[in-house]
Amino acid sequence: MKIALFIPCLVNHFYPEIARDTLELLEKLGHGVSYTQGQTCCGQLMTNSGCLDQARASVEALGKALLKEPCDAVVAPAASCVVAARENLERLTSFEDFHSLAGKIFELTEFLHDIAPLDHPLKPLRKTVSLQMSCHGLRQLGLGTASELVVARPVNKLQALLSRIPELTITQPSRDECCGFGGTFSVDERDISGKMANDKVADHLATGAEAIVGYDPSCLMSLGGVVSRKGIPLEVMHFSALLNQVT
Amino acid sequence: MSQTHARKVETFAADEARVDWHSAALLALRDKRDLQAKSLPQWEQMRESASRMKLYVLSHLPELLEQFTSNCEANGMEVHWARDAKEHNEIVASILKERGKKKLVKSKSMLTEEVHLVPHLEKHGIECIETDLGERILQLREEPPSHIVVPAIHLKKEEIGELFHEKIGTQAGASDPTYLTHAARESMRQEFLSADAAMTGVNMAIADEGAFVVCTNEGNADMGAHLPDLHIAVMGMEKLVPDADSAALLMRMLARNATGQPSTSYNSIFGAPRPGCELHIVIVDNGRSLRMADRRHAEIYKCIRCGACINTCPVYRRGGGHSYDYFIPGPIGLAIAGDNPEANSEAWACTLNGSCNNVCPVKVPLRETIAYHREQLAQQKQLPYHKNAYMPLAGKIFGSPRGLSMAMTAVRVGLRIMPQILQRRIGGWSKSRDFPKPPAESFAHWYRKNRGE
Repeated sequence: MKIALFIPCLVNHFYPEIARDTLELLEKLGHGVSYTQGQTCCGQLMTNSGCLDQARASVEALGKALLKEPCDAVVAPAASCVVAARENLERLTSFEDFHSLAGKIFELTEFLHDIAPLDHPLKPLRKTVSLQMSCHGLRQLGLGTASELVVARPVNKLQALLSRIPELTITQPSRDECCGFGGTFSVDERDISGKMANDKVADHLATGAEAIVGYDPSCLMSLGGVVSRKGIPLEVMHFSALLNQVT
Repeated sequence: MSQTHARKVETFAADEARVDWHSAALLALRDKRDLQAKSLPQWEQMRESASRMKLYVLSHLPELLEQFTSNCEANGMEVHWARDAKEHNEIVASILKERGKKKLVKSKSMLTEEVHLVPHLEKHGIECIETDLGERILQLREEPPSHIVVPAIHLKKEEIGELFHEKIGTQAGASDPTYLTHAARESMRQEFLSADAAMTGVNMAIADEGAFVVCTNEGNADMGAHLPDLHIAVMGMEKLVPDADSAALLMRMLARNATGQPSTSYNSIFGAPRPGCELHIVIVDNGRSLRMADRRHAEIYKCIRCGACINTCPVYRRGGGHSYDYFIPGPIGLAIAGDNPEANSEAWACTLNGSCNNVCPVKVPLRETIAYHREQLAQQKQLPYHKNAYMPLAGKIFGSPRGLSMAMTAVRVGLRIMPQILQRRIGGWSKSRDFPKPPAESFAHWYRKNRGE
């Protein structure tokens, strides 16, 4: 498929390795991948605080940058940014092309699970990882079945993808509760947010895993911040790093 | 302007052991709820049915109110409509005073908290006794509830032991729950026997029957309502359901979702006054009509007050129920009153994680309603946490690829050169977390260099 990468601002500047892993992985899987300069924020920083008008310019600039290169799908390695980009392109712009663009933006997990299913043989990796099922991916994108729901056959798309890696051991924390990041919540409500992040890291650590693996860089940044502060022996990584390594 | 939510949680949050204890107590309720919900394979269909039924109620309120009222009257009850809190309290006071009543035993009702009934009646010289154990504890402590279903969940049994020792004469240092509960029951029994009027809330008001359901675990509503010759039931007008089947659907969900019980222990349907007795119902609007007129706010009135959203809320569990401005804490409280500019940080006491939406038995869009309040406050320039100042600036910077790149580069470089020891003193984020260690170049820069354009 012809894929345009959407690299959210946080990934672009703070976690470029996630963008490179995503790029290389998609190329190894046989996709044509392009990246256009000039991408801005999905608007989430502003819209999460209700500032819809303040987000419009950013969302329009992002839409323009993504439309520069024709593609079959836009793929981003960040779940909450995908949720915001889709929603904001729909509700904050009136340009038809932006609306159809919104419909073909996919988060990397859902792209590899639903749109172009991963069927490559993967190299074995001896490692124990604990899945960080962040809320926007879990409850808005349906990357997994949230624990609150009563469903006969629960799904977990991240687990489904990673379980294709031979010898990888996959665990999960006892709860799929929010890690406390929440955008500006992490600063505004520093006490509660910090406590939630600490609790989440403890829950991951208790699984006996060597690494926390997730699909949302902002949540991973928050958990990584606790791991660093407390000197906890846990790697924190985006799942694209794992998949790129074994593909 | 009240203190910010972040400020209000500081005291509670400072005692981490207590936060963990509080959180675990509520998670135990959430776990029991999950077990009960999962015992019914059709749970999700029930949620959908309940949601649609309540939407039907909200969109047919005038007819249902009239139907309920005339059927209740035909059954021998007296029905009063109250426009607001003041009218409600005056109606209740006058019913009691006209009959020379002096002592009211009441079961748990969030509505009476909403309209501040008890202080009003006390001003009129009427003694009010809360008969729900949790509410009675709080009445003795002169403290508001911290949860809508388990109002004293913030208290430890030792604290209740001390309170009872002082107020009802239990042994000093006693904290055995069975002992304390028995003592409370002994003391409460005297109140029931000496009361001359009873008040209950209403869990469901059945329009086509002219009857109403009251659910309790302690039987206190029944004990109250069956002794004196006057029973006053008070309800918000959204408590209506069309028929008994609809009430039954909600009754199957209410206790399962609230406390993880298949049913509350006592479920009474009141359909007529006892011979020689009076049964009054006061139906209250108090701002409901206005809120319902706003489509994006209206669905909060589907709520059946099970409290499950509060139990699952990670912010509530770690901040406690007294950290909120509105008398109903947690997601449903924020969804009802998060648009209050006087307590403008409330709508931000939420990470928008959406767990509340998923546990809600009637699918109230809690997350979306809280987000809507943020939009409204943004439009009124009533944002908390300095957002009025920095959001327009952020919008400008983020709206320009060049501006965004320059700003992010500045932060990146700043974090690269600033010693970690200083970074840790910035506060906010860095109070409990380190900042990421930023790379030398952005992906956009790397791509331009290595992949051309």
